[in-house]
Amino acid sequence: MKIATAARIVPRNALVWIIISQFALLAPHLGRLPLWVVLVYLFAAGWRIMVYQGRWSFPGRWVKLGLIAAGFAAIWLSYGNLLGLEPTVALLLTAFALKLLELIRRKDAYVLIFLGYFICVTGFLFTQHLLLVLYSMLDILLLTTALVALHQPGEHRFRLATVRLPAVMLAQALPLMLVLFFLFPRLGPLWTVPVKSHAARTGVSDFMQPGDISSLSQSDEVAFRVQFDGDIPPRSELYWRGLVFSVLENGAWRSLKYADIPAREWRARRQEPVGEPLRYSVLMMPTQQNWLYSLRYAQSAQRSVMASADFRLYSPVEIEDQLLYRATSWPRTPLELELSAWRRRTELALPAAGNPATLALARQLRAASDSDADYVTAVLDHFNREPFVYTLQPPLLGEDPMDQFLFRTRRGFCEHYAFAFTLMMRAAGVPARVVAGYQGGEINPVNGTVIVHQFDAHAWAEVWLPGEGWRRVDPTAAVAPERIELGLEQALAGEGSFLADSPLSPLRYRGINWINMARLRYDALTYRWQSWVVGFDSQQQYQLLEDVFGDIRPRVFIAVLFASALVVLLPVAWLLLGRRQRHSLDPATKLYLAFCVRLAARGIVRAAGEAPADFARRAALEQPALAPWLRQFTHEFNQLAYADREQDEARRQQLLARLRSLLRQPPPA
Amino acid sequence: MEAVARRLRGRFGNWVTRRIPPARSVTLDQRRIFILPSRAGLFFGLLVILILLTAINYQNNMSYALAFLLATLFVVGVLHSYANLSGLRLHGVAASTVFPGQQSEFVLRLERGRRQQHYALRLAWPDSGDAVVNLVDRDTAELRLYLPVGGRGWYHPGRLLLESTYPLGLLRCWTWVDLDLRALVYPRPLSSGELPGVAGDRPEGAAIPVVGSDDFYGFREYRPGDSLRQVHWKGLAKGQGLQSKHYVGYADRSLWLDWELFSGLPTEQRLSHLCYWALAFERAQEDYGLRLPGLTLAPPAVSTSWTGC
Repeated sequence: MKIATAARIVPRNALVWIIISQFALLAPHLGRLPLWVVLVYLFAAGWRIMVYQGRWSFPGRWVKLGLIAAGFAAIWLSYGNLLGLEPTVALLLTAFALKLLELIRRKDAYVLIFLGYFICVTGFLFTQHLLLVLYSMLDILLLTTALVALHQPGEHRFRLATVRLPAVMLAQALPLMLVLFFLFPRLGPLWTVPVKSHAARTGVSDFMQPGDISSLSQSDEVAFRVQFDGDIPPRSELYWRGLVFSVLENGAWRSLKYADIPAREWRARRQEPVGEPLRYSVLMMPTQQNWLYSLRYAQSAQRSVMASADFRLYSPVEIEDQLLYRATSWPRTPLELELSAWRRRTELALPAAGNPATLALARQLRAASDSDADYVTAVLDHFNREPFVYTLQPPLLGEDPMDQFLFRTRRGFCEHYAFAFTLMMRAAGVPARVVAGYQGGEINPVNGTVIVHQFDAHAWAEVWLPGEGWRRVDPTAAVAPERIELGLEQALAGEGSFLADSPLSPLRYRGINWINMARLRYDALTYRWQSWVVGFDSQQQYQLLEDVFGDIRPRVFIAVLFASALVVLLPVAWLLLGRRQRHSLDPATKLYLAFCVRLAARGIVRAAGEAPADFARRAALEQPALAPWLRQFTHEFNQLAYADREQDEARRQQLLARLRSLLRQPPPA
Repeated sequence: MEAVARRLRGRFGNWVTRRIPPARSVTLDQRRIFILPSRAGLFFGLLVILILLTAINYQNNMSYALAFLLATLFVVGVLHSYANLSGLRLHGVAASTVFPGQQSEFVLRLERGRRQQHYALRLAWPDSGDAVVNLVDRDTAELRLYLPVGGRGWYHPGRLLLESTYPLGLLRCWTWVDLDLRALVYPRPLSSGELPGVAGDRPEGAAIPVVGSDDFYGFREYRPGDSLRQVHWKGLAKGQGLQSKHYVGYADRSLWLDWELFSGLPTEQRLSHLCYWALAFERAQEDYGLRLPGLTLAPPAVSTSWTGC
């Protein structure tokens, strides 16, 4: 083995910084990782510290190979594969911990630190939330500190002050980074990459059973934020359509699959817009699903947003990262005045058996009504008149769930009412379907966005009436109108079940003004961050460049890039290198130069390279009156500058003071 | 291929010599400092490209930001690496005289510029071991490097490498300076059995050619007219200027080592024998004189200069 020279070993200070940054990097991944990864970190750090204290030795080659094999096996067991994003990140993090066990030379430390930078990136792949990004800045600072500590040989004690230089350097790097960030062209993906596993799907699913949405309502996560161009419509009008469930199968509603739809029905039919349009942009959090949320009859000019035949918007690719899209809605537009035969058949289809009592009630109510519209009112009246309860804690339903719900339990959440209502419509021959999405939202007074949380998830119904098209009917409103007018929290005020599982959610403390204000301010900041920085794409970039520079040509672009690099780096260079030049004259020389300036003012100019003594002699000849002063100053200056370099500080100061006073009092010419 | 490489190296050597002429003291400035990415720096570049590819493929803006931050950190690092070396003064202090096959000790002194801290300064000659010093909280540092020397004569160690990868290790900042130091290498002592002509007891008092100059008294500045024999060559070699040795007193009994004692042998061998005997006399604390062609040193010519020929 080559003996490590002094420059090639890892100073202890660097070792400590590396271990600190390792744990700091692990923290944001904790929620996604199996517990044993944490144990690997503790194990590796513990072993390395024992080595550092000289009690243990580094593991041998076979031990290391064994550990690597065990790591792979453990990831295989935890995730079932090695190729998705999560197992890859877990693998990286495990390797990152184990590499500590062979951290001997500087080379190893480079591998570790560079791997650490890359692990920061993997964190961004999961979330680019403002807090995570700020935290990652800390990680990068720690890693850079380790890198600097690595090049301070002989530092064998942990030093906090090491962090200063990397902090300065990162601060100096920040402006140019921003320039590059905003100017660097955004390209499309070059090849497909492993995606996140689908275990973490959030939000409304394309499948609805009683109980699904009430479980979603326990979450205070933000589903999306909406910014309206004009006024925000009243919250009772904010029905964010996401999914349309047209098929009732095995006791659950689901949306139509691609294969269920005949080719001629695929395309969304254009409707004639009626009324004033609402323009808005939606910033959606990743869902790992395809569908988007919009108000009734929405259109979007964006190519990444498509419209379906049941008037929804969707994205052809799953939403892996946050998505910002613009849409325009005409809520008053009648939808599908003519229903195709296939559509009618589909929206009327019922399972062959099940819920016989519900079907009987439906037929009975329809028989008592004059028209389909009357029948709708009659069913809503039924919900309103009978003792139905709106609750987040509905009882479990068994066989024939709607029979149980309508005639026995009578306690349900929105999906129960939507389910029962749609079933009764179809039973009476009225085309109907369940629509799932979100209802309402919280208006943030700070920036005027509508924040839609997961607990705003809602299900309602649409019925098709002749001459009117699809009409939205919300049976929940018949039972608990405050849910629609005021929101879930008010609707459940008596029950106390709002966010019962998250006692620390700031949303529970909306009553306390300053907490609420802080939360809303933070949300406004998040919106700005997510839409402007995280969502910065080629479109926004083009817009920005056009706004700032007008016409964009490649030459201008490159010139701007270089000019900004210069503008940003020159101050740094000046700070580092320029200042030294100015201070490089010692005080005695400065005084002498001042002396020369005084004499030059009297017409005696010192020649280049003329020694002080020679100059004094010449000057004395030219102006004899000055001779004693000249001689004394020159003598003292020589004393100070040349005579005795090792003289003590007190004497130097004394001489300097004398020179200064001499300079101040030249004899009259 | 090799010829081309050699020529290139020669060209580079000439260019460096023009750029950084030999001097006892060198202050490092932009003419003398070179910066290129180190091997770790190249890997760092790969890392940045990898992060950029990740950013492009995942359309991930924060990864873009990190890639740009690291790239810019590298650029800022150029300035900091340069600042770490800039302003440093290097002094060649001394080189010890040695026998062939030994290692000469070269003493160097580093003096800091206005900057408070200079870290991880690695100094080495191509053939020497290296020394790594930090110049932190002190103004100067003295360090010693040991170099295996060649044959008899003046040994020039060539250009001294001063390099540092501080602060990030991604950039290697270095300079090649010629501190104009040389080490004196004595002839290799070679035993010759009996010293011819010394076996007999010869009262040497009368044989001393320069009367009144046998007892070493001290040095004085060389004046035109002083005998070349009196010049203190060793001091000159050490850079102390031209000085004459000043002798007073009277002739004494002493031994003479004469070039002609070993006539018929090749020059190097003659010198080796003379050296051997000189060492032998020194060990025995005998006074002795030395007669070489063109140089005569009267006894007691302790530790003599061996380079005259």
